[in-house]
Amino acid sequence: MKSSSLNKLTPYFFIAPAGLVLALGLLYPISYMMYASFLDWNPSQLIGEADWVGLKNYSTLWQDYAFRESLWVTLKFAFSVVLIEMILGLSLALLLDRNMRGMSALRTIFILPMMIAPIVVGLMWRYMYHPSIGVFNRTLNSFGFESIPWLSDSTWALISIIIADIWQWTPFIFILCLAALQSLPRSTLEAARMDGANAWQQAFYIKIPLMMPVLIVTLLLRLIDAFKVLEVILVMTNGGPGLSTEIIALRISRTASEFRELGVAAAMSNYLLILLLLLTLSMFLYNRFIEQHRAKSFNAIGKTSP
Amino acid sequence: MSMILKIAKTTLVVLGALGLATGAFNAAHAGPYDAYKGTRLVVNFPAHPHYNAVMKVLPEFTKETGIEVEVDQLQYMKMREKQTLELTKRKGDYDLLAYVVFSKADYVYADQLENLARYFMNPRLSNPAYDAPDLIEGYVANIGIAGGHKGYLPGPTGSMFGLPFGSETSILGYRKDIFEKHNLSVPKTYDELLELACKIPQLEPGMGGLASRAASGHHASHAFLLHLSPLGGRIFDDAWNPIVNNAAGVQAAEALKTIVDCGAEGSRAFGFAEAGASFLQGRSAMFLDSTVFAGQVNDPSKSKVVGKIGWAPHPMGVRKGSQTGGFGIAIPKNAQNKEAAFLLMQWLTSKKADKLIALQGGNPSRYSTHGDAEVNAKFPHMKTFGEALKNADPDWRPIIPVWGKINADLGTTLSKILTEGADIQSSLDGVAERAKQIMQDAGYYTWN
Repeated sequence: MKSSSLNKLTPYFFIAPAGLVLALGLLYPISYMMYASFLDWNPSQLIGEADWVGLKNYSTLWQDYAFRESLWVTLKFAFSVVLIEMILGLSLALLLDRNMRGMSALRTIFILPMMIAPIVVGLMWRYMYHPSIGVFNRTLNSFGFESIPWLSDSTWALISIIIADIWQWTPFIFILCLAALQSLPRSTLEAARMDGANAWQQAFYIKIPLMMPVLIVTLLLRLIDAFKVLEVILVMTNGGPGLSTEIIALRISRTASEFRELGVAAAMSNYLLILLLLLTLSMFLYNRFIEQHRAKSFNAIGKTSP
Repeated sequence: MSMILKIAKTTLVVLGALGLATGAFNAAHAGPYDAYKGTRLVVNFPAHPHYNAVMKVLPEFTKETGIEVEVDQLQYMKMREKQTLELTKRKGDYDLLAYVVFSKADYVYADQLENLARYFMNPRLSNPAYDAPDLIEGYVANIGIAGGHKGYLPGPTGSMFGLPFGSETSILGYRKDIFEKHNLSVPKTYDELLELACKIPQLEPGMGGLASRAASGHHASHAFLLHLSPLGGRIFDDAWNPIVNNAAGVQAAEALKTIVDCGAEGSRAFGFAEAGASFLQGRSAMFLDSTVFAGQVNDPSKSKVVGKIGWAPHPMGVRKGSQTGGFGIAIPKNAQNKEAAFLLMQWLTSKKADKLIALQGGNPSRYSTHGDAEVNAKFPHMKTFGEALKNADPDWRPIIPVWGKINADLGTTLSKILTEGADIQSSLDGVAERAKQIMQDAGYYTWN
């Protein structure tokens, strides 16, 4: 072999270990799941003994009202928590992006909820929502209000898990937004200030547009996470009452362990995977479109200026 | 010198031969456990009050037999997953395992448990004093036997795959002080039970009638099934047609709704633990659920009603029928020390060990233990439990592989009835319809 072609191959040698890890660690499990989703497989069988059923698992899922309902619950849950968390997290970041005394201590306190193990968060909220000894109902009662059936009414149960998730994950958005804010070019902000922009104008016309790439990534990360949340809901309501809080991750876990239908569970996971891929892809495309748009207008400015 | 050596050698040989002969003689008259002395068994038990009691008695087994036992205790909901993996291995790590009753359907069907016939037939292993008829019939039928009637019950074609161990039935607990105060009599029928359940909150404001599970899923379904059998209902008829939506089914759902509506605050979201806590904290006057709960009522660290609880059999509807459930023990097909494992399971369920375990707070598997004077002196409720067990119904819920799915659907539907006021008849019709489809897919109507 000539040394020039060896030279050309060198980079691939260097990438090879990473590629191998990727193939073993990522592609293998995913293809295993893909394969399993075409099988009628219960956990007492070895995968080789399971029957091939083609697309049956995928098609029967759409006739399963429990799956459709749990998909709807997941969408409601994911979009409401992410929307509220984005608004709260961003506002908090805009408010707290200044030099105050004790700021770093305050920031640490703000991100505490994120550091607590999900099971503990679930238990904590379950006790706070407890109908008779929970802090919420006791407070309501002491002010003379009626108790709220936090976890035992289907509408309230969904609201309750949304509140708990917002409490836990707003800090994540807050901290990313704050980091983005602090890395914004000071000169732009100064220029805006000198031009007489007030705080609202600075936020809406300068800060938020400049933060957009970070906001989009944050949104995406949270959305993906919200679609997969499991432990907190498992502990708080276990999907109930009825199916009102049975998000898809919980349905998958029950299908695999309670109903012992590994093939169906794999098909459900694949639907979730496809959904998340579509979301990611659309975000990515949107981001690229914005960047190109911006680059174009920037070029246009460059061309017209002397 | 060489002469002396020769003599010494011969003596040694003779002595050695003698020694061997004595050894052989001993073997011929050895105790049943001698051949397994020093064997180390690995067993899988759940973290459960009964098995905690077993842990205290196990050293006695090792002392008596020389067989060592290593216990892997797992949370009981996690146990099934781990066991499923273990059982599909070629060489398993567990020599004996405790299984939740509905695992019987899966493990036996997948041919993963040893048929116990060949052990009970083996004169070297089977103890003639075992007294199998003393084992509680409902438990044996529900947990131990498969292959007979309906596939999961005893019958001419059935055989035994496990022994009941840590099994439980349903029992009614009530507050003696409250009943005496208002001159109430302990309910013997469902009519009396339901009437009392709603009368108590009026007599004792702030107190719920009967603490019942109701949380979505398994809990709601379990509570419903508790009432279904005594009220004369079943999930399926003998041809596997769902009949959960017949009059008895509707009546059972109505009973559950009445109980939950007249229950303590928040009772719509109660699981087993919450329902139990409500009774132990004195916020409910009655409790109808598993006997495993009885161990806690007189523990002052958990209970505010020490000494105030009386026990009575599960009230009857059109028939007497308390639940059967809990755990059994079995030998995996892929176990390494099957014979020693059989000796352990036989010992654990023997009269002697059953009593020892009961004295430590476990759930006995034998009628004789329930009637034992020493056990009753320590736990006076045992006699009532023994009486109640004569009506234990092994067929109060079907033990078939697709039950998990039907059970989950039943549980969420009942939760909708309890929390959203869904119509009972049409909701149960929906369950029956979906169950029919699940059964169809699983091949239960192949012969129709």
